[in-house]
Amino acid sequence: MNEQPRTLYWVFLGFVGLVISLYVLFPVFWLFLASFKTQAELAQLPISFWPESPTLDAYKALFSPTHQKGQLLDWPQLIGNSFFIAISSTVIVLVFGTLAGYAFARLNFPGRDLILGGLLISRMFQGAALLLPTYRLMSMIGLQDSLIGLVLLYSAFGLPFATWIIASSLREIPKELEESAMIDGASRLQSMVMVVLPLATPALITASMWHFVGAWSEFAFASILLESNDNKTVTIGLASFVELFTLEFQYVGAAATIVALPIMLVFFFGQRYFTRGLLAGAVKG
Amino acid sequence: MGSVALRNIRKSYGAVEVLHGIDLDIKEGEFTVLVGPSGCGKSTLLRSIAGLETISGGDIAIDDRVINALVPKERDIAMVFQNYALYPHMTVAKNMGFSLRLAKEPQAEIDRKVRAAAEILDLTALLDRYPRQLSGGQRQRVAMGRAIVRDPKVFLFDEPLSNLDAKLRVQMRSEIKELHQRLKTTTIYVTHDQIEAMTMADKIVVMRGGHVEQIGTPLELYDSPASVFVAGFIGSPSMNFIPAHATGTTLETETGMPLGETPAPLGHNQQVIAGFRPEDIRLSDTGIPAKVALIEPTGAETQLTLRTDEASVIMTTRERVTQTPGGLVHFSVTPGKLHAFDAETELTLAGARQ
Repeated sequence: MNEQPRTLYWVFLGFVGLVISLYVLFPVFWLFLASFKTQAELAQLPISFWPESPTLDAYKALFSPTHQKGQLLDWPQLIGNSFFIAISSTVIVLVFGTLAGYAFARLNFPGRDLILGGLLISRMFQGAALLLPTYRLMSMIGLQDSLIGLVLLYSAFGLPFATWIIASSLREIPKELEESAMIDGASRLQSMVMVVLPLATPALITASMWHFVGAWSEFAFASILLESNDNKTVTIGLASFVELFTLEFQYVGAAATIVALPIMLVFFFGQRYFTRGLLAGAVKG
Repeated sequence: MGSVALRNIRKSYGAVEVLHGIDLDIKEGEFTVLVGPSGCGKSTLLRSIAGLETISGGDIAIDDRVINALVPKERDIAMVFQNYALYPHMTVAKNMGFSLRLAKEPQAEIDRKVRAAAEILDLTALLDRYPRQLSGGQRQRVAMGRAIVRDPKVFLFDEPLSNLDAKLRVQMRSEIKELHQRLKTTTIYVTHDQIEAMTMADKIVVMRGGHVEQIGTPLELYDSPASVFVAGFIGSPSMNFIPAHATGTTLETETGMPLGETPAPLGHNQQVIAGFRPEDIRLSDTGIPAKVALIEPTGAETQLTLRTDEASVIMTTRERVTQTPGGLVHFSVTPGKLHAFDAETELTLAGARQ
């Protein structure tokens, strides 16, 4: 009866979605295209949309050690640093977030709900307000300009939220599954590792993705804490282009593309876990 | 196989005691059903035997070995949960073999035992499926298979059929009973459904408010209930209860209608609760007058609701009913089928035996 209005509704929604996507993605795509252009092409008028003669020069330049474009940063080093920080802190957050999340979901201890709520409150502080105190603190304990220091810092920032996500998802897993496992002969640790965690995979992946992306793209704390070039991260590298006298957009484009790549890959491979209804069939229904 | 002995089991949650000293002996190979209304403590008792709850007092022994302090896996029990609790990320075969895998049995042995159990439960074709691909009844069977594979001393069932539809429930009921007759493993089965209790049990334990109300075979409970509660709980439709008093050797209703001979010697004018089952009522020319309020045929038998001046009485009859609603009838209780309970304590003063 109202088939047609419904269809129109979806067409309208699709159109709005398309407009928003274009609005958001166009600059990204523009930068991506710029990375294949030459300096001359970028400077010419009228501006060309597609690269006239696509070239990988910008990428080659970023990865060639002899490259001296006024910038001193070594991109392979930056990428390595960023990977080290993002992966290490993700592992830390995942391990401790899982243990803490399990405790919040399954064990009874005084003040449990209060603490769990408190974890969320810690998310409400603006990071910027913590910049100075954090810098002071890290200098005092000798962890400024240190990758390890940044790993610990990001882990501390990421842990509350990861714990919260994981705890909420573990609460959804029927207790009987664990009880059943214990009767089948599992210890608490075994029941957690063999029964609970496989079922919590979507939450674990979501928490990891969330944290990895955040740590990979964090700029403010990295920029005040890391001083030596050997220690800098990709976000600092990106920002450094702007400080140059000549803004060479093809390098910015190439670097931005490289920086975006891990994030895109993470979402590409992680996405399917979001929707997988692993719990179906566990209990009645 | 194992015998189970419970001695003065108590369980408290904080200041609230939910089990008030339960004593129970279960013989090797016996099928015991714990039955009672929700909140009576039957599930808590079962979970205490499983080791999923710690008891606050008393002793639980399997084969004369006290297991109070043992964790579930050391008790040599298997449990089937109400919601099956199948591991959703494992196939049927993996689900069934999980306990053996934890016990580090060789894979070949696990496969053999799983196959054997699957054979018994008609699950062979489903071994590679995941729980989400199974119907309710199949999931139920996998849960049982997981218990069988272990070959434990005691099977524990916690309301295993309550998630199934009525027809499947009846079918699974028979399957579980048949399985028990085949394996002869000591079984403790919790349900709130008295029909399940009656049809399956060797021994029924009726529980109420954290106490054991009565223990007996299904027919013992049916024929000689120890209290108004058991009398009303076992049997469907429920036993009829009418306030009455003794006049000589006759039990009369408050308005002086004779119900029948007192089932036990009673003091003159002693106040009692008279009880009689719906199938122990006959329509007759004399007897207590009543109005037919409702006629509910179920096919094999017909249920009539009769309304006297004092009470509503349910009767069932296998005969075809010629009465019409609103019609006047007289009924009497089959001689020897009358129960009498103390009006204060609601405990039996004796009653029908056979």
